[in-house]
Amino acid sequence: METLDGTDWDVLIVGTGLQQSLLALALSRSGKKILHIDKNDYYGGAEAALSLQDAEVWASKIAECSSTSIFTNASISQYSQEESGSDVPKLSFSRAYSLALAPQLIYARSSLLPLLVSSKVYRQLEFLAVGSWWVYSPASGFDGLPSSPASADDISQSRGRLIKVPSGREDIFVDQSLDMKSKRALMKFLRFIAEYEEQSEVWESHRQTPFPSFLSEQFRVPAHFHGALMSLALSSSTSNHTTTEFALARIARHLRSIGMFGPGFGSVIPRWGGLSEIAQVGCRAGAVGGATYVLGKGLDGLQSLGAPQLVDGMTATNTPDGVAVRLKDGEAVTARWIAGSTDDLQPIASQESSGDGRTEQTATVPVICRSISVVASPLETLFPALAEGAPAPAGAVVVFASGSLSLSSDAESGAELPPVHVFVHSSDTGECPAGQSVLYTNVALGGEEGFALLDRAVQSLLHAVDIQPVPAVLWSLRYQQNYGSAPQFPQTCASPKTPSVKDPRVLEFGTASSDLAFDDSMLEEVKSVWQKIMGDEGGDFMVFEDREGTNADADDE
Amino acid sequence: MADPGAASAPKPSSSVKLVLLGEAAVGKSSLVMRFVNNDFQENKEPTIGAAFLTQKCNLPTRTIKFEIWDTAGQERFASLAPMYYRNAQAALVVYDITKASSLIKAQHWVAELQRQASPGIVIALVGNKFDLASTTAPSDATSNGDDADATEEQDEEGAETDARKVPTKTAKAYADEEGLLFFETSAKTGMNVTEVFTAIANAIPETSLKGSRGVGGQTSLGRQEDSARVNLTSGRDAAGPNGGCAC
Repeated sequence: METLDGTDWDVLIVGTGLQQSLLALALSRSGKKILHIDKNDYYGGAEAALSLQDAEVWASKIAECSSTSIFTNASISQYSQEESGSDVPKLSFSRAYSLALAPQLIYARSSLLPLLVSSKVYRQLEFLAVGSWWVYSPASGFDGLPSSPASADDISQSRGRLIKVPSGREDIFVDQSLDMKSKRALMKFLRFIAEYEEQSEVWESHRQTPFPSFLSEQFRVPAHFHGALMSLALSSSTSNHTTTEFALARIARHLRSIGMFGPGFGSVIPRWGGLSEIAQVGCRAGAVGGATYVLGKGLDGLQSLGAPQLVDGMTATNTPDGVAVRLKDGEAVTARWIAGSTDDLQPIASQESSGDGRTEQTATVPVICRSISVVASPLETLFPALAEGAPAPAGAVVVFASGSLSLSSDAESGAELPPVHVFVHSSDTGECPAGQSVLYTNVALGGEEGFALLDRAVQSLLHAVDIQPVPAVLWSLRYQQNYGSAPQFPQTCASPKTPSVKDPRVLEFGTASSDLAFDDSMLEEVKSVWQKIMGDEGGDFMVFEDREGTNADADDE
Repeated sequence: MADPGAASAPKPSSSVKLVLLGEAAVGKSSLVMRFVNNDFQENKEPTIGAAFLTQKCNLPTRTIKFEIWDTAGQERFASLAPMYYRNAQAALVVYDITKASSLIKAQHWVAELQRQASPGIVIALVGNKFDLASTTAPSDATSNGDDADATEEQDEEGAETDARKVPTKTAKAYADEEGLLFFETSAKTGMNVTEVFTAIANAIPETSLKGSRGVGGQTSLGRQEDSARVNLTSGRDAAGPNGGCAC
């Protein structure tokens, strides 16, 4: 294999996460000489999609702290399948799965989709519809009971229900569970939110009001319907910490996205493992444009050519033409621009404030616990047909509103637990074999408590889907994802350098978004990095002609 | 060759992602050029990075749209191929019949595909540059309209008198052992080029064209891929009846 040592580049992109890969796409027609590296031996970074075997390697690397600082506490459980009959789907082989580490749904109104179209890479992607939204309703009487430690028995006795969130006015109209007064209240709210920006008098003074209070006070929406509206906001905070301003914008986005790409749905997911697929398509475009790709090669540090000290926060080794860095295995390369995520750039982050290691703010860093469960059932009841002429939905959303699940430990403390969101993906996504499905759970709560809540959500969901026998979990992975600039590190891992890059030629993407839906501000970051690199020569952002050989008749697709 | 517009009969249509792999200068891009444009360029410059092309293949009962990823043969860091063969349903592994080492490299790619690519991927082993071999090739090799096995009855007798370094028999035996489709082609004359793609199209299992990958002996639940696919370019006019149709 050839060496990179001594090579010189216009742009060094570090990491193949979504943002870096979109940057590679944006630069793919620029004529710049680009080196794109990733310390992992797979594409996708924090947005990767993994087979079962990949996931095991990934989890063990996290345990050794050798991989990345954004993920911690990863562990895998595989459940014995001996007792299940031969007609029950069993865990298939490793590569039959493509599990997304950071699943997000993409609203039809997201600016990502027009960029994928204008850059022509949409032809290499397949998008599937996210269909129904469901809200978990605990069995009556369950809520008030002091709950003993969560067990499957416990859950089956207190089986809750999943209630489908009406997807429009017609649904509300025919909903038996609502009386006329409630229906009128809801209709009024839906009419309001359709054009809420113009009706500032209704909500401006309530920007910071908890959304449930706003619904009750301004619209008299009955309390039992708050959860349904709340679920559309995909808020990871508890109801009382979800502001009216936040919720209105999100619910409006949801409702306005419905119907854009077909009847009955408003958001999509890429096939074959979510955002990872978009990242790969970005890298492929980069490669077609001539970029050099090297996996298994991360940054090691700034290249020291004799004077490794910091001078005014800049290293003295920087050449006038670019930044000299050392890659893993010791190769030295120079690049006029270096772009990457905070995590990927850490080896070259300036070390000035890292003297005493750990920062003090660990308590305030946003933390998400996630789990991925492979379920031995297609869970078809969660994917009802959407509407005449609509595509078959491949995704569903199940929301456990804050307070609808409880843990024994919080019964006394009284602290309200955050909501749990579950994305259910059918085998149409290509993420699991036919006859199975994948549950991606997410809660803004760290540590064992977060994991316990996720387990409870998965069990409650499987008992509430009305499928007999209760579908079994075949395999699951759980992990904690740390957001923000100062990740939380377990005691066992070395404390990191404070990532604060000073060199203006090093362009840093913030930490990945913890949002449940794709966050368009990620694109703004990519665009601003792209603008810095291209200066005035950029032209339109991600607007490309088809390359030669891509037949025009693909257009009718 | 592709006949957009005219063939409006509603034959089921599916996309198949195909990746080309092989050593540098064995003629990967030339094979695609011949298939897509029915064209051949002498001394074509090497592919940088990769190229993406599409071409339709009309079968009696369905239309296959190939999405072809043509990779650079002189890939320096062995990091590109994984982003192409991921989720590929078919691979064309090419060697040069006049260069023995290129078959070794091809075997290396086959092993990697079997280890890393989608389960059930259809792999075709293709020995290119048949035109450089002895002219004793049977004259019906180029005119054989049937797909597979066009080369099977080809002889080995001329093998010593020409530039050929890889006997057909050797490569064929390897392909049979690994369960690969096998062809010898000439991108220059066009011999067997269409046949390779047609054979691949025929070998793609129905199930992998539908909603699931059709793996592990599972049957697809009957949802067709095309009924689930969301068409991003049909947007704006909102709830049109063709919302999810990719045909």
